[in-house]
Amino acid sequence: MEYDLNFSWTGTIGHVVIGATRADGGTRKTSYTLGGGTSLPYLDNNPSSPSPLVALEICDNPEFWSPIIRRFCGDLIHSTSDWAKTAETVYGADLVRLYLTSTRVRNFSDIVSVGKTIESVLDATALPLIIEGSNEPGIDSDVFQKCGETGQDERFLLGTAEASRYRSIAAAALAYDHSLIAQSPIDVNLAKQLNILLREIGVQQDHIMIDPYTGALGYGLEYSFSAMERIRFSALKGDTDLAMPMICSAIDSLNIKEVREADPALQDEMAMQWEFYTGIAAAVAGAEIICVRHPKTVRMLKNAFADMKNNAGFSGVK
Amino acid sequence: MIRVNYLMTDVEIAKKKGEDSLNLMITTIQHSISYDETAYHLPVSFALTGIAVHDIQSALDVFARTSNNPLVASECILAEKTATEGKEPAPYTGFIDDTVIRKLGYSLVDGSILGLALVVGTPHSADSASAICRELQEKYMLTFLAGDVISSLSHAGVKLGLEYRLIPLGSTPAYGIHFVDMIARVAMMFGGVTPGDTHRLLTYAAERAKAIVIVFPGLSDPEIALVDGMRVLGFPILSVGEYRGGDWIPALPDAVVRRGMEIKGIRVNITAIPIPMGCSPAFEGKSIRKEEMYVEFGGGRSPAFELLRMLPAADVKDGQVTVIGPEIDAMKEGGAYPLAIIINVAGKMMKKDYEPVLERRIHNFVNYGEGSWHVAQRDIIWVRISKEVVAKGVKMEHIGKLLASKFRMDFPQLLDAVSVTLITDEAKVLASKKDADSVYDERDARIRGMRDADVNTYYSCTLCQTFAPNHVCVITPEHPALCGAISWLDGKIAYEIAPSGANQPIDKGTAINVLNGEYEGVNKFVKKASHGEIDRCSLYSVMEYPMTCCGCFECIALMLPEVNGIMVVNREYKGVTPSGMTFSTLAGTIGGGAQTPGFSGISKNYILSDRFLQGEGGIERLVWMPKQLKEELKTRLVKKLSDQNKSDLFEKVADETLAMSLEDLIVFLGHVKHPALTMKPLV
Repeated sequence: MEYDLNFSWTGTIGHVVIGATRADGGTRKTSYTLGGGTSLPYLDNNPSSPSPLVALEICDNPEFWSPIIRRFCGDLIHSTSDWAKTAETVYGADLVRLYLTSTRVRNFSDIVSVGKTIESVLDATALPLIIEGSNEPGIDSDVFQKCGETGQDERFLLGTAEASRYRSIAAAALAYDHSLIAQSPIDVNLAKQLNILLREIGVQQDHIMIDPYTGALGYGLEYSFSAMERIRFSALKGDTDLAMPMICSAIDSLNIKEVREADPALQDEMAMQWEFYTGIAAAVAGAEIICVRHPKTVRMLKNAFADMKNNAGFSGVK
Repeated sequence: MIRVNYLMTDVEIAKKKGEDSLNLMITTIQHSISYDETAYHLPVSFALTGIAVHDIQSALDVFARTSNNPLVASECILAEKTATEGKEPAPYTGFIDDTVIRKLGYSLVDGSILGLALVVGTPHSADSASAICRELQEKYMLTFLAGDVISSLSHAGVKLGLEYRLIPLGSTPAYGIHFVDMIARVAMMFGGVTPGDTHRLLTYAAERAKAIVIVFPGLSDPEIALVDGMRVLGFPILSVGEYRGGDWIPALPDAVVRRGMEIKGIRVNITAIPIPMGCSPAFEGKSIRKEEMYVEFGGGRSPAFELLRMLPAADVKDGQVTVIGPEIDAMKEGGAYPLAIIINVAGKMMKKDYEPVLERRIHNFVNYGEGSWHVAQRDIIWVRISKEVVAKGVKMEHIGKLLASKFRMDFPQLLDAVSVTLITDEAKVLASKKDADSVYDERDARIRGMRDADVNTYYSCTLCQTFAPNHVCVITPEHPALCGAISWLDGKIAYEIAPSGANQPIDKGTAINVLNGEYEGVNKFVKKASHGEIDRCSLYSVMEYPMTCCGCFECIALMLPEVNGIMVVNREYKGVTPSGMTFSTLAGTIGGGAQTPGFSGISKNYILSDRFLQGEGGIERLVWMPKQLKEELKTRLVKKLSDQNKSDLFEKVADETLAMSLEDLIVFLGHVKHPALTMKPLV
């Protein structure tokens, strides 16, 4: 049976640029232009669609990180900059996503250290960066101001704006020319509403990536998948308020029972597989950036994306 | 203390003279002019024309292109002065560099600064100047100062600097131009204004830059021309000095900040309510039993009423709470006292139509109080205050504060000012109740008069798309949302408060089928909002293209072909209906955003609407309802039916005590000669 793989879509996903090279005034070795799609990825009629980028997530206070990663990485986690460096040199990530978990300590006030951490990561890796600011509304203003200022001219992707708190991130993006992640809880209408709020405050569409919130495989992924489909279909049907690239991070993958309680000998493998399959699903739904926490998942995904692009099936899929 | 006496200055005349001298002064520029630490050259000139001014030629060029704009002249003249004489010593900041401007702009977008103020001139007294500046600080305004006001504040011991949100620009009002060059740069950095795009710059300044200017006496003519030139940016110029004429707004020192913020629509967000008891929706469900109660009002035990009215802005002092009559400490424990809750509101967006909707919120807000409880509405309210919180020091005054604050917090777009009066003196309660009664009557008349045919705009509700992805509720004056929680007026207000929210206006367009309530515009909207799933939607029909159902419906109306009628079952009814199914089984079959001909989710109030079952021939189709629902609607339904000369219909509608099964229902309806039996066949 023949399918019409164009679905009479008329819309195009807008572009978002992450990372600035020396030519653009920054210090990154490369700059990514995401988006631009006019259809779904991996369709037979669409061989040219680019593979999603893979980001490795790291943090600056490992107390707030999965014990599986802490064990796998060993001493590495105590040096944010070394961790960031291996993301590029050892594990082959396209991007580093730095979570400033140090700001989650009760009564955090050392804003200067935020700038220093970001600087050390900028020095350690030449990859474009995604920076996750504070988790606490009370310090948002100072933390995001510092993130924005430290990364001026580097074109960060800043996270994460939500409908209830987006002003500081928007301000940092506007003031220092970064892009931002707009997250809504698995809901196409809320995603749209947040994008409208951001537009009203002055953030241009080409500075926004949608995070539809990604549930882990078996723990809500199907809802996320459906929300992503609907976001992407609306965009392709011409809704410009949803025509932004998407970023997915199934951060719950390492906390679910099957991974947490796995046989210690198999735990790394279980964690990788869980992140891997969740990432594959998100990629098929149209995500432009897939984030993972287990360093070894990075290469698995990258290989699989290359094979999928060549129509060679999924290597690594068991 | 500085005291300066000036004669009244005519702004128009001074401005003319000032402009003449500026025209002359700009031609005398000799040196090259530029500021360090900015990528925007002379920012005002650059933003207006895209031209980088660095010398007399470019200065005159820009001046001519902007039709001799006094802002441009002031900028060039001050830039030359700074270039030749150097910056003024501390505390004066002079020209502020880009890095600082970026941080200031950040705080503006971020919301930690609400707006900007420029204060210039020579205040009558240090006290009035510091009072104004303190008020600006308290209201999260970032204030720039130019002229003698700075030394006046320093002498009064007021701390100046960015960290105090009081920035001393320079020793004369002429330095006020830095206020404008700052806003020009914020517009270029944050507002996407390209240099030379005058139109966008002016729009940005007028709509986004929430800026006001406060002028003390003592400005020279060129300074008056400079300040007056800022009007083009949409900044209100408020004078607290001896100025008359022109478009300056005279104001008293103690009212000037409020006035300016009102004009620019700058609102302070209240975050904590200063009362000695907790206040949160978490307390809403609690009740205060007789033995826990310190004092009560209304509830049939004493006269009590509540009223919310809209008044002109000048008549409402925001946050004012007045208690007339005895306070709680003068009331006996366990007693019942009279009470009037009178709330006056003002707001540019506020409309008279919203009064009753907002008035209903008194109920929620009083219940938010840890130790205050409220039921019913209008002149049948019943309010209690608990012993526990009276012991903590709660008084009537605090109930007033709670109401004033909550209204401002929950309706920031709608309300600019809220004041509350609580009357506990019986004679005065009764006197003001007369006014309230006439307001209630007026409102009833207005709502009664509201028909679907009278309005062209209906409202949508897609709140439930979270779990029913393609569901679209269409709300009309006679057809509330199927959950019963949102009326047409609520939808309208919700849209005005949150224009990108879940309630959107629907232009109903031309009628396709008047009886079924099918409209072209509604169909078009529903098609789009249902993501292309639903093509047609009739508002008043169960049989043809009924509205989709989410899952929140108060009742389900469904067709019973065997009796040629329609039955309604409400959520509370747990038994089996004549259809052979319970409410929950039925709900499971029709929910999730689907359109199911023969079934419709409805609100209880819709049963009382003239549009109820209009597509199927009206209320005569109604054959069965649970007894509890019948009782709940009885008074209103009987009255409605008798108005339509159908008094006998109420008794002909069966319930579970009259007919449990379909067989019983057929027998019962035949016995009472229910009109549905002889109506046009449903299928």
